[in-house]
Amino acid sequence: MSGRETLAVDLQGVGKRFLRHSDRRNSIKERIVRGRSRRPEDFWAVRDVTLQIPKGSVYGLIGHNGSGKSTLLKMIGGIYRPTTGSITTDGRVAALIELGAGFHPDMTGRENIGLNGSILGLPRKEIAAVTDEIIEFSGLGDFIDDPVKHYSSGMYVRLGFSVAVHMKPDVLLVDEVLAVGDEEFQRKCFDHLYQLRRSGRTIIVVSHGLGQLEGLCDEIAWLEHGVVQEHGGAVDTIAAYLRRVNADESARNPMVAAVRGEDDDGMRSGDQTVRVNTAEVVDGSGTPITHAETGATFAVRLGITAPEPALGPNVRIALQHDSGTLVAMISNHRWGVDFGTIEGDHVVTMAIVDNPLLPGRYRVHIDVFDYTGSRLLDSWNDAVEFAVRSPRGEIGQGLVELRPQITFD
Amino acid sequence: MLTDLYTQRALVWAFANRDFATRYRSSVLGWAWSLIQPLATLIVFAAVFSVVFRIKAPPLGNGEGSSYAAFLFTGLVTWNLFSSLLNLSMTQLKSNGELLKKVQFPAWTPILGASIVQLVQVALELVVLILMFLWLRNISWTWILAIPILIGTMLFAQGIGLMLSIINARFGDVMYIVAVVLGALYFLTPILYPISMLEGQNEWLGLIIKLNPMSWYVQSMHDAMYSLVAPNGWVILALLVGGFLTFWLGFTVFVRNSEDIGELL
Repeated sequence: MSGRETLAVDLQGVGKRFLRHSDRRNSIKERIVRGRSRRPEDFWAVRDVTLQIPKGSVYGLIGHNGSGKSTLLKMIGGIYRPTTGSITTDGRVAALIELGAGFHPDMTGRENIGLNGSILGLPRKEIAAVTDEIIEFSGLGDFIDDPVKHYSSGMYVRLGFSVAVHMKPDVLLVDEVLAVGDEEFQRKCFDHLYQLRRSGRTIIVVSHGLGQLEGLCDEIAWLEHGVVQEHGGAVDTIAAYLRRVNADESARNPMVAAVRGEDDDGMRSGDQTVRVNTAEVVDGSGTPITHAETGATFAVRLGITAPEPALGPNVRIALQHDSGTLVAMISNHRWGVDFGTIEGDHVVTMAIVDNPLLPGRYRVHIDVFDYTGSRLLDSWNDAVEFAVRSPRGEIGQGLVELRPQITFD
Repeated sequence: MLTDLYTQRALVWAFANRDFATRYRSSVLGWAWSLIQPLATLIVFAAVFSVVFRIKAPPLGNGEGSSYAAFLFTGLVTWNLFSSLLNLSMTQLKSNGELLKKVQFPAWTPILGASIVQLVQVALELVVLILMFLWLRNISWTWILAIPILIGTMLFAQGIGLMLSIINARFGDVMYIVAVVLGALYFLTPILYPISMLEGQNEWLGLIIKLNPMSWYVQSMHDAMYSLVAPNGWVILALLVGGFLTFWLGFTVFVRNSEDIGELL
């Protein structure tokens, strides 16, 4: 454990209790009518949180909505007082709870910089010194002398972010505001956050963007119902969190499996000499699953039946991503597997070894052709749909993970 | 308290600047409104009470008759200082609520900032009052005494304003109660009538008016500015000290109870 003098924020047994809103006696009438007889219900938003946040680190807080992340952040920022425990912060704390919170619509951007700077506790001289830098960073140009009520929402948050990060806080609290502005401005924000970190400032960030956090944070704490579930290295904590999320989803969701209904018969195309009756998604050992995982083997298992002997059919599955993109087609003929003459019920298992699919939803379409590959025997569109989850949170980074061999000369 | 006020002066000033800059920004006449409104009140009241109710103002200090308008305006300026600071203070926490929920800073700073801007308005009214008395040639050294009296009024009003604003954040009905009480207090303060009119009238009413601190502030202003009589030195001292103590009490109560302001709003 690091020494006390190297800590930016030291949380010891921090808890926060709220009274349930329905029990807040906001008017004197309520006070008189209901008196003090009924004890208001307690609600602990944060319970017994002990965390040490080292100086110069980027610390992430993750968890579901309502897990207490923002409450904890507000306590570190001094907006809420902890009910139990103590919070020691070293240096000036600035909160990016909401960008441009202190802006007055009738004042110009420039005037608002001065006001917001004062609210965040910067002396006048220093505000004057960084004003040009803020304007430059925000990219607002001449608009800086227009009242902010005429700003677009993008301009508004850009100015808000610029002001907050230029106040040279020792500890910067960021709550879900990294998704501001366009791509270019976002990059500028991240660059600036990295710069702040290099200059020894501490950043505490709350976000649902796990991929973003993984790259940005040194350490992460995962909260659930106000209690720290796990904390430590960013990659490990996110993995633990996702394991739980995936497990919870599994418990809630049904297995991925479908039996073709009789009423579907009329819709069938092909001459039905071989039919597909069931389709399910199973894991490497053949157990039905609720979702596939990136990097782990899974299989699509089909139950087919041939009323009459059929010569070496070609079973083909197509995987289609939610976006409509056809990701892959897999068939036994393509891989030189001949089923021989079949009759009666059979099971076809197509295993995808070390699943390269990245998180997303995929639909499975099934077609069966005769041994020549030219005659359609059966077709089942949208047989099943399954999700791919990743223990590492790569979302929006493409559809598949390719295994490159990288050399450097 | 004094060190708090000193260390936060830049922030108070920043809020004052904000309120000053935005107060009349979207109106054509701008600051003229701050005079039009009290002058309109003055004209209407002067007409109604001196013509319809035939209230006679006491003689002017210079011995040249009397002026009900000047008498009324002296009281109005003092009362407006009191009531506007009170009302303004109560609305500040709500109107700065979004900010207080998101950034940590002393919650009394926007209140004092707003009050400073209100003082500009009071100063404008005061200039009109002085012009009025100059025109009436009702001038004396006793005018100087208006300074401590008004400072006392200001501190007194701000102290109560701070207290009421924090209570109002907890109990939303305080604002409405205050509106009712202020309405009554207005008539229980010798603004529309000279205090001499009460002599020999209902004893209870006289007592209530005597117990109303604002009566003392307004009456002293009447003495110093209108009748040109120096009020008793002890009275002026009491008004100043009373104002200061009220401010101190209000400030202390406010600071003690505003720690959870981010949750209250």
